[in-house]
Amino acid sequence: MDFAFSPEHVALRRMIREFAENEVAPIAAEIDRDHRVPFETMRKLGEIGLLGVCFPQEYGGMGAGEMGYCILMEELNRVCTSTGTNVGAHIGIGAMVIHLDGNEEQKRKYLTPLSRGEKIAAFGLTESGAGSDAAAIRTRAVREGDSWILDGGKVFITNGGYADIVTVLAVTDPTLGGRGGITAFVVETDWEGFRVAREEDKMGIRGTSTAELVFEELRVPHENVLGKVGEGFIPFMKSLDMGRLTLGAACIGGAEMALESAVRWAKIRKQFGQELAHKQSVQWKIANMATEIEALRSLVYRVAWLVDTGQPFTQLAAMCKLYGSEVASRAIDMALQIHGGLGFSRDFPLERGFRDARIGEIYEGTSEVQRIVIASNIFREHSVRIRP
Amino acid sequence: MDASYLDLLMAQQEEVTEEAAGGGGVWVVADVVDGSIAAVTLEAIGTARNLADSLGAYVYGVLLGEDVADLAQTLYQAGADGVRLADDASLAQFALKPYLEVLSDLFDEEQPEVVMFGATAQGQELASRLAQRMGGGLIERVTAVSLDEATRTVQGAISIYGGEYFEILACPEARPQFLTVEPGAFPAPFIDDYRKGEPTVLDVEVVEPEVRVVGPAGEFEPPQVPLAQAPVIVAAGRQAGDFDTVKQLAAALGAQVAGDRGAWGAGWIGPEQIVDVRGVEVTPGVYVAVGIRGDTFHNAAIEGARFILAIHPDSDAPIFRIADLCLEADSKEVLPALLERVSVFFRCPTL
Amino acid sequence: MRIIVILGRVLDPSGIAVNRRVGRIFINREEYVLQPADRCALEAALQVKDAAGAEVVALPRGPLPDDDVLRQALATGADRAIYLAGDGFKGADDGVMVRVLAAAVERLGGTDLVLTGATTMDTGQGQLGPRLAEALGCPQIINAWQVSVTDGKVRAVLQQAADYVAVEAGLPAVVTMLPGALRLRYPDGVRLVNVYKGVGEIAEALERWDVADLVDADGLRPLLERRGRDFPPERERGSRVTGTPQDMAQAAANALQQRMGR
Repeated sequence: MDFAFSPEHVALRRMIREFAENEVAPIAAEIDRDHRVPFETMRKLGEIGLLGVCFPQEYGGMGAGEMGYCILMEELNRVCTSTGTNVGAHIGIGAMVIHLDGNEEQKRKYLTPLSRGEKIAAFGLTESGAGSDAAAIRTRAVREGDSWILDGGKVFITNGGYADIVTVLAVTDPTLGGRGGITAFVVETDWEGFRVAREEDKMGIRGTSTAELVFEELRVPHENVLGKVGEGFIPFMKSLDMGRLTLGAACIGGAEMALESAVRWAKIRKQFGQELAHKQSVQWKIANMATEIEALRSLVYRVAWLVDTGQPFTQLAAMCKLYGSEVASRAIDMALQIHGGLGFSRDFPLERGFRDARIGEIYEGTSEVQRIVIASNIFREHSVRIRP
Repeated sequence: MDASYLDLLMAQQEEVTEEAAGGGGVWVVADVVDGSIAAVTLEAIGTARNLADSLGAYVYGVLLGEDVADLAQTLYQAGADGVRLADDASLAQFALKPYLEVLSDLFDEEQPEVVMFGATAQGQELASRLAQRMGGGLIERVTAVSLDEATRTVQGAISIYGGEYFEILACPEARPQFLTVEPGAFPAPFIDDYRKGEPTVLDVEVVEPEVRVVGPAGEFEPPQVPLAQAPVIVAAGRQAGDFDTVKQLAAALGAQVAGDRGAWGAGWIGPEQIVDVRGVEVTPGVYVAVGIRGDTFHNAAIEGARFILAIHPDSDAPIFRIADLCLEADSKEVLPALLERVSVFFRCPTL
Repeated sequence: MRIIVILGRVLDPSGIAVNRRVGRIFINREEYVLQPADRCALEAALQVKDAAGAEVVALPRGPLPDDDVLRQALATGADRAIYLAGDGFKGADDGVMVRVLAAAVERLGGTDLVLTGATTMDTGQGQLGPRLAEALGCPQIINAWQVSVTDGKVRAVLQQAADYVAVEAGLPAVVTMLPGALRLRYPDGVRLVNVYKGVGEIAEALERWDVADLVDADGLRPLLERRGRDFPPERERGSRVTGTPQDMAQAAANALQQRMGR
């Protein structure tokens, strides 16, 4: 077993870390305070090819695999969760469905500009009545000649307020449900009938757009159906699976930021004649954080390797997201405690990390859903079929 | 009464003639700045003097320029035994090729043991080219020297990572040994006003420079250095007194202006200039804290500062625990005096 | 037009801890970074290439154990990079490097412009560029803020006291760039992946030459020798200056003068 990262991934990490320090970190506080999406960062990332990090070079991507994408997420989230989320929604779910299920023409028409950052993608799945229960979506798509007419809407769509392309899941046959009745479409947001209704005012990741989308007689040409009619649910779920892995990677970054900040503060802050680093309670918190981060790191990068080598990964990816989001939350919480009052101040970056981390256990499949996925996978191996 | 004979009695005549020396010696090429010999040249001569005494050799100065003959005396007063003078219109401003040809011809004939320059732009250009041309070794920006007497080798210490530690280098075989001397690293020599001499005038063949000055680069703006990376910072606190004086001090040092939260509260600086863990963390080579008391959050943000100068009236001020040099005084009294003394500085582009 | 860029690497100082008291250096994290001034040189070369068209060739500043520095140069936009291999090459000083580089330039068939960093971050030495200029017999411009090429001439911006001046020289010439002079571009992602994976055209742009083919053993013997290390005195904090405000001001001014090297 060779645990070393390959040379291109080492070089990639070095480049992204520098980018994160120079371009992302300096504006992280500002975009959170002003609730602003950093379009300039997305453009810069696109210019050097990072918005297509895991997509094939023939479609404008970098060809660095899931491993490369995990590295990107870790390094970006280490300095700014909002930026990491913007990028993750674009690559990991928005464009990913096209990569997984698009035909040659769709990939050339859509995946290429998305890989190059010329266009931005969003993933249109969630609805007000369909969160964890994704198959309960109600957005309807009705065939009319060589197009489909979409009616309905989506909520909590990351990048929704500014995306150029949204991959949308809609019901094409209400009688069939998840198997055979749901179809995936590629929607261009400047088409007639597409509307952004409102932006969510969120607790954290305030440098992202989380929007409500409305489709009113939105005409989508038939060639924009992804995969086969009625078989849209599976590629969307697969996209979410892969997204879970990379969210776990994102959590490594967030947790590392908390740990580094806590270590530094413990070395500096003196109370009762001693630096905090000499107090056992602080030492134990640091040790716990560090151990969990190492465990998470080993898990995430092993799963990235599984994906890149074509091996099964669903259950492990769910573990990445489940464990990652909880590790990040715990780490930030412990770090906040170590910083004391300073950690609570809005002038210090830690409270932003605290607010940003909370969504980790919720979006892209709540921790509860992850546990169901893991358990049902385990029981299936023992020939027991779990119904959620 | 004509007392000029007293001057003759007290004056030491130049002892060196070309024949007596027969090559060798420790040579110092002078920098001329604003019509006088640069301080770094004098420091180099002082050091050259020490080396030469141990080597049993002579110290020679080389002076190039236009109408600089008078300056030769300064070199003698600083300790040179001989001076070579190249005085010509073509040498009025430093230009590489004209200066290089003079030195190259001179050193080909004189075969020095050691040649020293100040570590200025002029010194760097000349030393490198000459070393290459003559096959000598060059140690740049030396901050300390010692002599390996057995092999007559100068050992020069150079600063690593801006002063974290020093590496000692030497050029045991190749001659001449070339050195450039870091300004301010060596003490100024004793200036003996009664020492004088007659410089040897060199023939100068006019040579065209290869690099010509086109004109001022008016539209050029150097890239903005963020406060977090500024090499020199002057920061004000509530006890800074007159903030304008603080700004003048910063300008004189080529420093960026900053402050603690108190300065921000007083409306002197913007939020992006606050030095604090809740603001900007800085890592300058020099940090001047004027009237800053220094609470934990400010002090943590200057952890990476190499040298901290603090001025504050209160002897208990926490800043004094971490500052390298502490001035327990009222800024209003010390600052104007400090400003006066540093006004001679010009900007230091690299630190 | 051909532009040669000379790049080197240096140990990241943030991974080093110096204990002055015991006189030891601890390398806590061994990570190398490209010399910041050399990166500016590469950026300057690429800017000239963008503006006027050129072939940018990367060469190493010193002996390297691997070709990572050259790969980084290719990923950032260099057209060719040449790794110099050879055992007898270890411990080479600038004098040796200049012989090697001059021979490499000749083997390449000459060059129009050589760009490198004005100073090294670790040792503060700036002699490589000027030495090479002497060896190649061409003009040099050192400590440049900006460089451009027009009509067969190179133009640069230099700082003189508090002002900036524009200077000009004919080609070929050697120009050394100050660290931090330019905003650096990032490597292109696709180039980066391909050059490190060793696939595609870009991978063939990395060549490997043997130093022994360029310079004989005699020529590889360094002129300079390392004679040991010294450590500054331990940092003494809290040292108070006594006396009148004038005395204090004088002491402070002296300290600043020493620190900032006038």
